Amino acid sequence: MTQLITLSGNPPSHTPEPPPRWRLIDVDRPGGRPLVFVVKGSRLFGVERDLFEALQAGVADAERVLMEAVGETPRGQDFAARLPEPAAISLNIAQSCNLSCTYCYADEGRFGGKAQFMAVSVAFQAIDRLIDGAQGRKVTVGFIGGEPFLNREVLYESVAYTRERARAKGCTAGFSATTNGTLINADDVRLLRDNGFVVSVSLDGGAILNDRHRRASSGVSGFDMALSSLRPLLENPGKARVAVRATVARDDLRVAERIEELAEAGFTEIGVSPLRTSPDARLVLRDDDWQRLLEEMIRASEREWRRVRSGAGFRFSNLAIALKQLHAGSAKPLPCGSAANYVSVSAQGEYFTCHRTIDDARFSLGSTADGLSMRQRESFLNARHVDRQEPCRACWARYLCGGGCHAEVLSAGRSGCDYIRGWLEYCLEFYDRLLQEMVLRERPDLLGREVI
Amino acid sequence: MAKIFPLNLTARAAAIVPGNPVTTRLEGGVGNCFPGLEFDHRNLDRRFFPGLVFAMGSSTGAPLVAVDAADPDLSPAKFEGLPADAPPTAVQTALRLALNGAEGQALGEGGWSLDSIAQGGKTITLSNLDGMIAWRLVRSLEPGPVDIVLTRAAGQPRRITLNGWRRRFVSTRSGVISEAYQPGELTQSLCSPWMHDFRDCACTYWASNHPDIVLGEQALGADPDPVIEETPIDWLRSDRAAARTPAAEGTEAGNRDAQMDHYEINERWQDLSMVLQGHENSRVFSPRDVEAANPFASTDGLARELVKLCKLEQTVALEYLYALYSVKDASQVTGKNFKDAVTFVRHEILAIAVSEMRHLRWANQLIWELEHAGLTTQKFGPELGLSDKVPNEGGERDRALRPLTPAVLTDFIAVEKPSGTLDGAYARVLATLRQPQYPEALKQLAERILADGMQHFTRFREIERVLAPFATGNPPAYLQNLTKASKAAGKAAVDLYKGILADLESAYQSGDMEDAARIADARAAMFTLKNEADKLAKAGTGVPYF
Repeated sequence: MTQLITLSGNPPSHTPEPPPRWRLIDVDRPGGRPLVFVVKGSRLFGVERDLFEALQAGVADAERVLMEAVGETPRGQDFAARLPEPAAISLNIAQSCNLSCTYCYADEGRFGGKAQFMAVSVAFQAIDRLIDGAQGRKVTVGFIGGEPFLNREVLYESVAYTRERARAKGCTAGFSATTNGTLINADDVRLLRDNGFVVSVSLDGGAILNDRHRRASSGVSGFDMALSSLRPLLENPGKARVAVRATVARDDLRVAERIEELAEAGFTEIGVSPLRTSPDARLVLRDDDWQRLLEEMIRASEREWRRVRSGAGFRFSNLAIALKQLHAGSAKPLPCGSAANYVSVSAQGEYFTCHRTIDDARFSLGSTADGLSMRQRESFLNARHVDRQEPCRACWARYLCGGGCHAEVLSAGRSGCDYIRGWLEYCLEFYDRLLQEMVLRERPDLLGREVI
Repeated sequence: MAKIFPLNLTARAAAIVPGNPVTTRLEGGVGNCFPGLEFDHRNLDRRFFPGLVFAMGSSTGAPLVAVDAADPDLSPAKFEGLPADAPPTAVQTALRLALNGAEGQALGEGGWSLDSIAQGGKTITLSNLDGMIAWRLVRSLEPGPVDIVLTRAAGQPRRITLNGWRRRFVSTRSGVISEAYQPGELTQSLCSPWMHDFRDCACTYWASNHPDIVLGEQALGADPDPVIEETPIDWLRSDRAAARTPAAEGTEAGNRDAQMDHYEINERWQDLSMVLQGHENSRVFSPRDVEAANPFASTDGLARELVKLCKLEQTVALEYLYALYSVKDASQVTGKNFKDAVTFVRHEILAIAVSEMRHLRWANQLIWELEHAGLTTQKFGPELGLSDKVPNEGGERDRALRPLTPAVLTDFIAVEKPSGTLDGAYARVLATLRQPQYPEALKQLAERILADGMQHFTRFREIERVLAPFATGNPPAYLQNLTKASKAAGKAAVDLYKGILADLESAYQSGDMEDAARIADARAAMFTLKNEADKLAKAGTGVPYF
């Protein structure tokens, strides 16, 4: 029986060929089996080689055997009947920054406008709407900018206010902050620790790698400034969790070295992201860079394999997160929670789909004064559904990737899709290897949930 | 052959596996106590051998309760089309004929039980094993050939050997349970009331509300009876009359026969006593004084009280140590009971004195912890001085090194009396330390001192009771003459004592009582001091501590 995959929503009328139902991944390591990744439900199977070869040859019987064995198609990737209110917001409390990084999408935090600071009344209004809408679910308030610690007063008051309001409404509150780390003082460390902040620090690597683009206006090393401020938090994070994210620009695509240097500096969760949009076009990755970046990502992951093999935990968060999602069979029609579970608030109190789209009218979702616009959220999300994107709907990796960052895609189009697919295919093979050689043997805890 | 292997979680969830999950198999069930709440395996195993029915898990071995010559598994028709499940035809025929013939008739007369089971060349004898163990061994048989021996002890002793097989409980084709089981047979024991599980549960599920060994109820208002205070009794005992409560045996089996049994506990579970602070209690509970004690207004006030208590602890420890040597030792008395009595009393007094020394250390630790946490405004410890006065019935007396006359013993009981001065003071200490600003560990330390103090009281009461038969005469028969040694004679001992104090003072100064070397020195010196004290006692003198 051949199963037809039903597309969510209305497929475009000019369907040239049906979207792929699975991806065949040959595995040539000793003792390994070839893999079949079934797109719907992100289900991964190992198969005997004869079946694999028959599937490669397109033998109808083999396809029937596969579809029967993989069982029911899980629930479609449709949206819920009605969008729930977001449970997370980010507050752009300081649309200004003390650094002047060459590649910054936010243009020193000003998002192309002039430097602005959020008033405490705006923050409170956004927090009130968040907690009222959450209906008892856990809420998360993020602080971003610019550099949020430039508006410390509003940050502190917002944390206290969120706690108080959450307690009154019987829900729990979590906090996050994205920071360059250079302004954090002893009181801030206490605030971050005591309130269990998820702190996302932007640093590109060690002093030389980092300071190339992340410049302090005074000319001192941004790396040294950040490290000296963050040292107490790294040494004793308390309830906080500290992660670091490095931006990879095209003038230096190395990944493994960045991870080594940042681990050396005391970070335990280290991620990278390639530069896709920037005021300085010379730094943005171009078509011929992606293959080299993929090689760098794989080189870094193989180092990670050897580390984990020797008993350590993961620290390369791109890999660790991909593995967790592949393990859980995560399948999503959107790249992230923006406009759905998460929205961002500008210094002036306007809602936008996320922190990358602040002050861009195409992504506006209403204001804290009038409330979030459900209509705008729905129409945005419906338009962004990956099954309605080209060339996404013909891609086997579409429910893993979700179609790419809305902000980047809408401003610069899609690039590096082969890189994404190459990376995901590598992660699928890595996952299988991890399962067979570690998880199923001596380390059932590695993926966070016992597997037998 | 399988060609497709689900790997990640969504793949595993979607992959279709034929049949019920393993958790739904009879043999995968979890029993809660026996009989079980979910499934009672004994009901399955009672027919493990086709044609016979045993009582499993009963008091001893596995008694035969019935012969079922009509068991369908004895008939070849049962296994038509199921060669994998079928026993060898010859074995089946022989067993059917035996159970329908003379052997079956003899077994039907009753009094038989399973003597042994044999499978795969191994034979296990069950006859004298506990019923649960015998059942466990039967449970371990695999489907396939089994030979059993049955014996009859009563009447004409006899043995019958039967060759058969362990029943396949479910058909390998249909999964249906053998029709040998009658309707209701598999569920017959499942409607047991919760009291049975409460009574028998061996996995400590009921631990918090099912004490095993407790202390009896003390009379209201009076001083606690030391016999009750020290006699463990079985909480589940069937005879609940206070006057006939014996001490509990040391083993579960030893207490089993005197406990409420299943039927009885169904009827009388509500007679089981509430247990509070280790004691059975049938009345409205009135907490000890500690619950009502007033906390000190300040940490300095608390520390000042602890200083006083340190002095008092050391003073009474010395009084006890001195009095100890006034009791004759076993070589000085005649008669087993008398010898036992003085040996016991000397041992107990020493144990109480040692315990007071431990309190001295703990009280000093409390002071140190309070200082270290910055809770006091000045330094108070360490305190290794003596108290001039000792609390007494209704007041105070001067400290004194005295032989253990009945009057002195009364003084000792008075100072350790529950809700007496010492106990009352620690109650206030504890009430203070229960306040949130104090570290939890300090509260626990104070609780330990308080609980120990209660034991001192009952131990002195016990000493009084043990000495009573030998207290006739003036001086009482158990006493030997003891006077304080002269300064010169006692110098060696007193110097040792001062050395011990110096070591302790130094140890208690440093950190969290971590100066182990000085404490070890002090301990070693205590042994030498004991030798000195023994020497002095031989000359009818005691150490002149003060």
